[in-house]
Amino acid sequence: MRALPLIPLLLGGWLTVPALAANSSPQASDWLKRLAQAEQQQSYQGTFVYERNGSFSTHDIWHRVQDGKVSERLLQLDGSAQEVVRVDGHTQCVSGALVPGVANTPEAAARVLDPLRLMSWYDLGVAGKSRVADREAVIVTLTPRDQHRYAFELHLDRQTGLPLKSLMLDDGGRLLERFQFTRLDTRDAPSDDQLKASDICKPVAQLTAQAAQPATGWRSDWLPPGFELINSSVRKDPQSKNAVSSLMFDDGLARFSVFVEALDKGTAADIRTQLGPTVAVSRRLTTPKGEMMVTVVGEIPIGTAERIALSMRAQDAQAKK
Amino acid sequence: MSREALQESLSAVMDNEADELELRRVLNAVDDPETRATWSRYQVARAAMHKELVLPRLDIASAVSAALADEAAPAKVSRGPWRSLGRLAVAASVTVAVLAGVRLYNQDEISGAQLAAQQPAQQGLSLPQAQGPAVLAGYSENAEQPGPMANGVLQGQTGWHDQRLPGYLRQHAQEAALKGTESALPYARAASLENR
Repeated sequence: MRALPLIPLLLGGWLTVPALAANSSPQASDWLKRLAQAEQQQSYQGTFVYERNGSFSTHDIWHRVQDGKVSERLLQLDGSAQEVVRVDGHTQCVSGALVPGVANTPEAAARVLDPLRLMSWYDLGVAGKSRVADREAVIVTLTPRDQHRYAFELHLDRQTGLPLKSLMLDDGGRLLERFQFTRLDTRDAPSDDQLKASDICKPVAQLTAQAAQPATGWRSDWLPPGFELINSSVRKDPQSKNAVSSLMFDDGLARFSVFVEALDKGTAADIRTQLGPTVAVSRRLTTPKGEMMVTVVGEIPIGTAERIALSMRAQDAQAKK
Repeated sequence: MSREALQESLSAVMDNEADELELRRVLNAVDDPETRATWSRYQVARAAMHKELVLPRLDIASAVSAALADEAAPAKVSRGPWRSLGRLAVAASVTVAVLAGVRLYNQDEISGAQLAAQQPAQQGLSLPQAQGPAVLAGYSENAEQPGPMANGVLQGQTGWHDQRLPGYLRQHAQEAALKGTESALPYARAASLENR
């Protein structure tokens, strides 16, 4: 009977969780569901701009859904011609230098936005309406519940649910990046010709499950809540000949990668830098295997990246068994 | 039990300094008229010392006892649900307070960490910056970070990071694009890194 007074305490703690989830508006969650469906059901073609600090680029996109099969081609219109062709979430070809070891894994199929999962880490809300690319849009805001992720503002097409504009903002309300359509056509589906890759697009190898080698030697003592491991690999760097372990985490929206590599000469300093939405934090780590450099790269606040970098540990042999 | 010990206990109870044993002793002896008389005298003395003497010889205990004897025994009040609801409310507010406290604590900790992170950054090793044109009215653009970094190139990095960081950034962007939930955005991020 002594435990009886504790029950309300426990119950109280449990009751506050749904109370917090109630901060999200059902309309916002419905709009995000429409967004997730639109990518799988709606054909479109258009032009968008992408902007982060000091960098501004324009791109064309062709997206066709035919018999449940999603084909997509993206082409950068200014500067170098960056091109990607994807079919059903699998990248068929890319232009430019692909990092060795980056390839499609069998489970790499498109992960869709899950409003229920997002609701645990963001407050979803409808902030009003706007007009983007001559279309009526609804503004959906995703405000982070903690300081470990950024806020998003999505302008979704009222007619189709497609994202017409996406802004990423830090905790001070500063704009980190902008994605915005300037023209969108949802009536005419792209033709085969428009979806055909040009000569600069080089095919991407399809990895089998056996060939993908997961990075098992590292673990993190601390992760920001809600982030889960979605990919891990070990690749050999062609320059340094060192094995580079990489781990990728996401919370359903934001992503970060952790890279661990042995330091040969031991001259590198710890650094932290930010490229618009993406931070990079490097920390030296002394392990029984020698000096290692842990680098966290991702679309998360710099303090969080720092804490993750400090929390990486070598997995000892016993733990692996 | 000696009278002196009882009187000491009585005095301790009055001064709010009694331990549990003394309190029991006094409660056991409170039916004894002599003890009550002592108690009453002590109250008067105490009130006189504190200059709050109002009604000497007021035996509240016996008055209350008499009143209680006249009163019919009240039916067992159904205060159960209210009581536990009250407890629940208290427990819930304690929980909320604790959660809020933890959150505040974490924020302090992190803003500390971020301050620490910014400190060396100001010294020129690296320049975190995030600036852009105004978006919607209501977004503050006031706290601009120092230093434009041309086209996102990592300036001032030498040696190891010069070689490694671009590769890491590219690998992160490309893997994110391959696994992306929103199709075009991670691709645009990756493409943006190539525009140097």
